[in-house]
Amino acid sequence: MVIPLALVVAALALVLVVWAGVFALRDRPVVLNQLLGAAVVEVAILAEAVVAVVHVVGGAHVREPGTFVGYMFTTLVVLPFAASWAFAERTRWSSVVMVVAGITVAFLQVRLLQVWGAM
Amino acid sequence: MSGAGSGADTPNQSSTPSTARGPGRVLVAVYAVFALAASARAGVQLIRDWHEAPLAYGLSALAAVVYIVATVCLARGYRRFATVAVSVELIGVLVVGALSLADPAAFPRATVWSAFGQGYGYVPLVLPVLGLAWLRRTRPAGARS
Repeated sequence: MVIPLALVVAALALVLVVWAGVFALRDRPVVLNQLLGAAVVEVAILAEAVVAVVHVVGGAHVREPGTFVGYMFTTLVVLPFAASWAFAERTRWSSVVMVVAGITVAFLQVRLLQVWGAM
Repeated sequence: MSGAGSGADTPNQSSTPSTARGPGRVLVAVYAVFALAASARAGVQLIRDWHEAPLAYGLSALAAVVYIVATVCLARGYRRFATVAVSVELIGVLVVGALSLADPAAFPRATVWSAFGQGYGYVPLVLPVLGLAWLRRTRPAGARS
């Protein structure tokens, strides 16, 4: 279950990247709907984290548990951080930050799958 | 990242230092990601298999510390410390990058700076250059050093 969820998270994050990227190119700041989109991605990440914990408690073998926890934590904090900046920075640069955050989340899913032992 | 103009936004948002406004936020965000990822990775490496490659893992830890210092200083507007941290980072990525290619045996395990940051899309090489350029661009009028 962790593998499909990670893929879903990566796909959703990339949708957010394209959406915020269009806004950055058009010189527009992040809008509320994008924050709701980011919240959807965050819910998917939380589900992924919970499922991963359940698997580990159930005795699943993780290739690099320490690194997995580190990357999972990073994945969890990136979007809330970018969202809080969207309020402080009402310029196109909040959109660029959202693009960076989305790319980070998507990239971390690849790394998470590697250290989980799926790749 | 096009458009240099929107960086010149109103300087009256007094609580946010100039280094952390506009494009600076993007810079701080990327630094924060590297600080977090490098720390997580270095921490695991140091705790679990320090003896396998003390030099490489020591350098990973150093890189993590440098990224943390740079992130905090850029975000808080400590220009001098930020300049030092970003310069150390640039020297680090150039020296370690060159050494890792010249003498791969000395670096049996990858660090963030190996092969000029190839494993991270060369972001570690580009980031300090952007950082120094940004510090230069946002320096207060009259301060020339």
